[in-house]
Amino acid sequence: MAALAPAEILALARISEELDYYQLLHLQDDANARQIKDAYYETSRTFHPDACRHLPDDVRRAVAVIAKRISEAYSILRDPRRRPAYDRHLESGGGARMQLAQAEGAQRAEVEGKTPQGRQYFTLANQDIRRGDFAAAARNLQTALTFEPGNEGFEKLLVEVREKLEHSSA
Amino acid sequence: MADIAIGIDLGTSNSCVARAEDGTVDVLANPYGEKITASVVAFREDGSITVGNSAKANIIHDPENTVSSAKRLIGRYYFSEEVKKARAICAYDIAESEGHGLRINVRNEQFSLPEISAMVLRELKAIAEARLGQSVSKAVITVPAYFNDNQRQATKDAGRIAGLEVLRIINEPTAAALAYGFGKGLKQRVAVYDLGGGTFDISVLEIGEDIFEVLSTCGDTFLGGEDFDDRLIDMLADEFLANTGINLRNDRFALEKLKVASEDAKKALSVDSAVDIRIPDIIEGPEGMLSVEHQLTSVEFGSLVNDLLQRTFKVCDEAVQEAGVVARDLDGVVLVGGPTRLPIIRDAVRAYFQMEPKTDVDPDLAVSMGAAIHASSLVNPKNDTFLLDVTPLSLRIGVAGGIAESVIERNTPVPIEQTRTFTTFKDYQESVSIRIYQGESREAEENEPLGQFEFSGFAKARRGEVEIDVTFEIDTDGIVNVTARDRDTGQKASIRITLSSGLSESEIESIIERANTDRVETTTLEITPPPVSRDPRSELEEALSTPPLSDSQRALEPVSESDPAASAASSTPAHAPDEATPADAVTQPFLGMSPDSDDLLLDEEPAPLLAEPARLSGEPQLAAPEPIVAASPEPFFEEAPTDEMVAYTKNPKAMDLDLEPDPVGLDIDTEVETEDNQVVELTDDLHIANTQTASELHDPEPEAEPQVLEENPHDLFEPAGTDLTTLDEAEDEKG
Repeated sequence: MAALAPAEILALARISEELDYYQLLHLQDDANARQIKDAYYETSRTFHPDACRHLPDDVRRAVAVIAKRISEAYSILRDPRRRPAYDRHLESGGGARMQLAQAEGAQRAEVEGKTPQGRQYFTLANQDIRRGDFAAAARNLQTALTFEPGNEGFEKLLVEVREKLEHSSA
Repeated sequence: MADIAIGIDLGTSNSCVARAEDGTVDVLANPYGEKITASVVAFREDGSITVGNSAKANIIHDPENTVSSAKRLIGRYYFSEEVKKARAICAYDIAESEGHGLRINVRNEQFSLPEISAMVLRELKAIAEARLGQSVSKAVITVPAYFNDNQRQATKDAGRIAGLEVLRIINEPTAAALAYGFGKGLKQRVAVYDLGGGTFDISVLEIGEDIFEVLSTCGDTFLGGEDFDDRLIDMLADEFLANTGINLRNDRFALEKLKVASEDAKKALSVDSAVDIRIPDIIEGPEGMLSVEHQLTSVEFGSLVNDLLQRTFKVCDEAVQEAGVVARDLDGVVLVGGPTRLPIIRDAVRAYFQMEPKTDVDPDLAVSMGAAIHASSLVNPKNDTFLLDVTPLSLRIGVAGGIAESVIERNTPVPIEQTRTFTTFKDYQESVSIRIYQGESREAEENEPLGQFEFSGFAKARRGEVEIDVTFEIDTDGIVNVTARDRDTGQKASIRITLSSGLSESEIESIIERANTDRVETTTLEITPPPVSRDPRSELEEALSTPPLSDSQRALEPVSESDPAASAASSTPAHAPDEATPADAVTQPFLGMSPDSDDLLLDEEPAPLLAEPARLSGEPQLAAPEPIVAASPEPFFEEAPTDEMVAYTKNPKAMDLDLEPDPVGLDIDTEVETEDNQVVELTDDLHIANTQTASELHDPEPEAEPQVLEENPHDLFEPAGTDLTTLDEAEDEKG
């Protein structure tokens, strides 16, 4: 295992709030799933609480902090729903950490809408799609987009619906 | 010489103890050469207690005083379905203790479940000591992966009562995977199908040489080999009833004979395709003694238990899906647990996973071997294997409307920590209270309640101005810890637990004092502690007055506190200067019983437990600065209005308003009233103790709230708003 000096561990624990998850796991922004897992394993070899039982108390406490942060980082970055939400969170200067439920919620908002009206028309559009009424779905999605311009989830679905429309008219 | 640390598989029906050294693992046998010890405790007429296989033989003639399958009950609430079921099956007396816990009544004595399990653990410890020729004080104990926090903590308590330092609680399938893959340099993804006597677990793991990563785990803590036996018992009893008109279930002794014969028959089917069940002279009929005779084939047995088997595969579906894998793409499936020797189970597993199950590990011994391997690596300075496990159940917090919101989802890697920020709902609010659950339902009452916490000792200010960070931690043992601190001052709030299924710290200590477990006559005589000649209970007073407490026990003693301000002050721990920085805010020690935190207590925190974050199943009085006024049942907090949170979080207030007939356009004041009315109905809500509103409370709406409590057996949180006297007192104090 990559041994760290106690002083380094203490220092890392102190700044662990400020390190974003990519920095914490020594990852590039575009790391793939395998790289994320390998990084999780590698950092765990150093910072798993079991690896540090023989260290002094203050160091063990620091290790416990880092270990919890590593689990958090892994839980966000390995999850295809949470990771985009976290990336946006970072871009918007939201801080290095993100609570798991928050990432989940943000992602859901991105897919299902952030405004009540957006969600409402998005839901109607989905009902239209289930009924096979793509024209109505397209109208509802366009309305949803007037409330939430640029919502990627809405736009993506609208593209799909229009393709279906062209298919059926062709 | 390195410390000796053993691994213990504390099973529902059977237990094992093992020790690993220099790459070899030995499952330790008792003096009779038996490696498997029945998890049965027999209370004899002469006051002695026996444990294990000889105790099991006692079941037939003295079922009322022979406790088996205690693991099915440990860490449960009295009102739970599982306990109801156990009470119907078990001959021994299961009673309710204070706080909805459980006690076993035998021979005019009362025992908690951790005490019973401690007797089994002590027997295993004695077996190990006899084999190894030296005393053993450290152990890794396994639990079903699907055990919740209450059950894990109770198991850990049992270890302490048995005189063991519990190095780790690890999950049984993870331990089995360790036994399967340790030191082989494997790179595999495997499923561990673990069907024990009383529980079923499935874990999907990725083994990467020295790393054992659990991808997902699912289970059923009330499905095991004993349920298979029950099916057989039912069939035989029904058949006997049809033939003779006599119901064997009404005769305790006949029923126990039936149980033994059924278990034997099931075991025989592991080898043979058919077995003759014969129980001569089981009961007296009108014309003499009657016998049970039945030829059981594997096929017939399969049809009796098929639905149980299918239940395990539903759980497998979930685990495989959560792991993001396809069953047939796995590199192997490892079978663990005695029942998996049955050909019908092997066949079903083979069909489900579309591969031949692994036979590398002994299904009865693998769990204890894995525990021993881990125990050994924990006491050796050079640790070379890492278990990356997950939490089996979602951790939830109760919010308005009887909803339980997920804070940490199941299958999240541990250790993990998440923080939620709450704010006060009332001006000058003095305490806040939250409820915590584990489970997969958004309906609070469908989850397992872990505890209710009241936080106080933070700054008093107008509503919304106090922000309290509540931190939820799940440690490497899968045990939950909760802490709260005032965001502005960084001061830790004191915590009072108002619901807990487990033993309190002082209860554990007094149990250790009584040393009830010393009465156990172990099969390994050399190292057995001398039997207690006096009646431990009659001497309890004396024992408590001169307690030979260890340092760690002393550290856990509650300080006598009556002043909340003092308690709040003491809640800034000794290492306060460092703790003030935000980065360190999370390094605060947690009061789990893990050796780590024990050490913390020893070295850094001599006395003030109040300062410590509370364990979920800790002691109510322990952390109570004063009887906190259970005042108006009002929602006391909501999610702090940070933008990110609002984006997704259901605002409890908003939710309440949805339920109101005309919520629109209320100004703030009206809204508060609405809340007040609302909460009278919704007792699941978070509520406050607020002396500022005391005057309003002299006119409470009396009937509404207790009603709900009665309707809902799961709602065992203390009803608020009833204790007006205390409320007045609190006001007097203030004035």
